[in-house]
Amino acid sequence: MRSKSLLLIAVDFLIMFAGLGIIMLGQYPKVDYSPIPWALGAAVLGIAVQLFLIKGRFNDDIWIFPMVLFFSSVGIIMLARLKPILCVPQLRWLIIGMLVMVLVLYFSRQLKNMMQYQYILGICTLVVLCLSLLFGVEIGGSKNWLVLGPFSVQPSEFGKILLVLFLAAFLSDHKDMLKEARKKFLFLDLPPLRFIAPLLVIWGIAILMFVVQRDLGSALLFFCMAVFMTYMGTGSKSYVFIAMCFICLGAVVSYTFFSHVQVRFNIWLDPWQDAVGQAYQVVQSLFAFAAGGVWGTGFTHGHPGLIPEVHTDFIFSAIGEEFGLLGCTVIMMVYVLLFYRGIMVALNCKKELHTLVAAGFSIALFTQAFIIIAGVTKFLPLTGITLPFISYGGSSMVSGFIMIGLLLALSKKERVNGA
Amino acid sequence: MQGTAIVIKLLGIILQYGLLALLLYFVYKLIKFMTKDSREIREDIYAVTEISNEEAVLTVLEAADATMIGQRFAFSDEISIGRGTDNDIILNDSFASHHHAVIALLNNLYVIEDMGSVNKTYVNGQAITGRQYLQSGDIITIGSVSFEFGR
Repeated sequence: MRSKSLLLIAVDFLIMFAGLGIIMLGQYPKVDYSPIPWALGAAVLGIAVQLFLIKGRFNDDIWIFPMVLFFSSVGIIMLARLKPILCVPQLRWLIIGMLVMVLVLYFSRQLKNMMQYQYILGICTLVVLCLSLLFGVEIGGSKNWLVLGPFSVQPSEFGKILLVLFLAAFLSDHKDMLKEARKKFLFLDLPPLRFIAPLLVIWGIAILMFVVQRDLGSALLFFCMAVFMTYMGTGSKSYVFIAMCFICLGAVVSYTFFSHVQVRFNIWLDPWQDAVGQAYQVVQSLFAFAAGGVWGTGFTHGHPGLIPEVHTDFIFSAIGEEFGLLGCTVIMMVYVLLFYRGIMVALNCKKELHTLVAAGFSIALFTQAFIIIAGVTKFLPLTGITLPFISYGGSSMVSGFIMIGLLLALSKKERVNGA
Repeated sequence: MQGTAIVIKLLGIILQYGLLALLLYFVYKLIKFMTKDSREIREDIYAVTEISNEEAVLTVLEAADATMIGQRFAFSDEISIGRGTDNDIILNDSFASHHHAVIALLNNLYVIEDMGSVNKTYVNGQAITGRQYLQSGDIITIGSVSFEFGR
C-alpha cells in the first residue's frame, strides 16, 4: 500500500516532462535543453525523498508529499511556458525546498522541543515582521522584501511559520485562562486584557502591514490565521466576533484614509470602469478564464502573457486559460485534499500543541491558496500573494517546504505506551 | 521536412491530451489511495506490535484514555506497569502507583506481582496478594485500565 505512493510521484514527474516536452516541440528546431538536467535531478531527488518518507523514520504520512510535488510540477511547466528564464531557478528552488524538508524531518525531535518556547517564538515573529516594516524594499508594488546581497527574501513568508508556532504555543498554554477567566460584556465573554494582548498585537501588525507595506494579501492571511487558530484553540466564538469587528473597523478606516485601498476596492466592485487602466490586471485575468472555457485552450495555445505578473500572483489565471475549468478544478481539489490530510494529521496528534501547529499549517496553506484564487477570479478584492508551491518564488517555496516538513514530522505517531 | 512536421504535430497533440489525462488520473488515484489508507489506520490499532509464539501479550480492554483501548503490549520475559516513566507500560491514571505491578516469566509460566501499590492489582476481579500465576485469558485490572493476558 505505502509503496503505491511512488505511482503518484511518477505521475507528478510525467506531468512535468510532458509539459516540458510540449514546450520543446514548440521550439523545434531551436530547442532549449537547459531545464532537462535540473528536471531530471528534481525527479531523482523526489523519488529518493518519497522512498525516505515511505520508510517512515520521522513521519507516518506519505500522501502529502506527492500532492506538493504535483503543485510544483504544474508550477514548473507553467513557468517554463510563461517565463522560460525562471524555469531553471524554480527547479533549483524546488530541489533546495525538498532538501530543506528532509533536514526539518531529520531535526524534527529538536524542533518539536523548541515549539514550547512561546515567548521566544513571539519575539521572533515580531522581529521578522518588523524587519520588513522597517527595512523593506519595494518590489512589484509591495514593500515587503528584504534585499540581502544577491538574494531578496520575503520575510512575511517565514513570519507565517513563526506565527503559527507562536499562536499554537501561546493558545495551548493559556487555554484555561482564555476560556475561563471571563468578564461578561454585553453578550460577549471576554478574558482579561493581558491574556488577549498578544492576539491584539498580531492583529494590529496585520493592519499595519496592510497600511504601510500595501501588502494586502499577507495582511489578510495573517489575520485569518490568527482568527482561525484562536477559535480552534479556545472554541470561543467571542474572539471571532471581536476579530470581525476589528477587521471591519480597520477596513472602513483604511478605505477612508488611503487611496490605494479605495482603488483596490473599486476595482473589485466594478473592474469595467477602468478596464485598460488600474483594473487591467483583473480584467485580463477574467478574459483568460473566459477564453479557457471548460477544456482550456491547450497548453502553450493560450495568451496568458497579456496578464501582468502572470508568473507569480496570476499563475492561476494562466492555468485557467490553458487547462480550462477542468485543470482549475483539479488544482483546487488537490488543495482541498492537502487540507484534509493536514487536518487528519492534526487530529491524530496526542498533544494539543502539536494539533494546533499541524492544523495551523494546513490552514495557512489552504487560506493562502483560497485568497489568491478568490482574488484572480474576482470573488474577493485582489490581493497579491503567491499560490503555494505553484507560483514562482524562492521564499514562498522554501517556507512552504518547511511547513510541509513540520507537518510530516507531526504525523509521526508516538509509540510511547500510555497517554 | 514535411514528415518531421507531422511527427511533431502528432506528438504535440498526444502530449496535450496526455497532460490533461495525467492531471485527472493523479486526482483519481490520490482520492482512491487516501480513502483506502484512512480506512486502514482504523484497523491498524489492533496490530501495533508483531507477536511471535514465544511471547505473551497484554491487550488493553478498557481505559479512561480512549486512545489506549485496543493497544497490545508484547513481551517475552518481563514487563513492568505503573505511572512512573521508567515502566514498560506507562499508565497516565491517578489510581495507578508509580511502580504498580510486574509480570515476569518463572519456570515457563508468567507470574504477576503487585509492587505494593495503594489501590491493588486485580486478576479476574480478585485483589492479589503477593504473587499469582497467570493463565491465558485472565483479566488484569489496574486503576481504570484492564488488560487481557494472552500467550
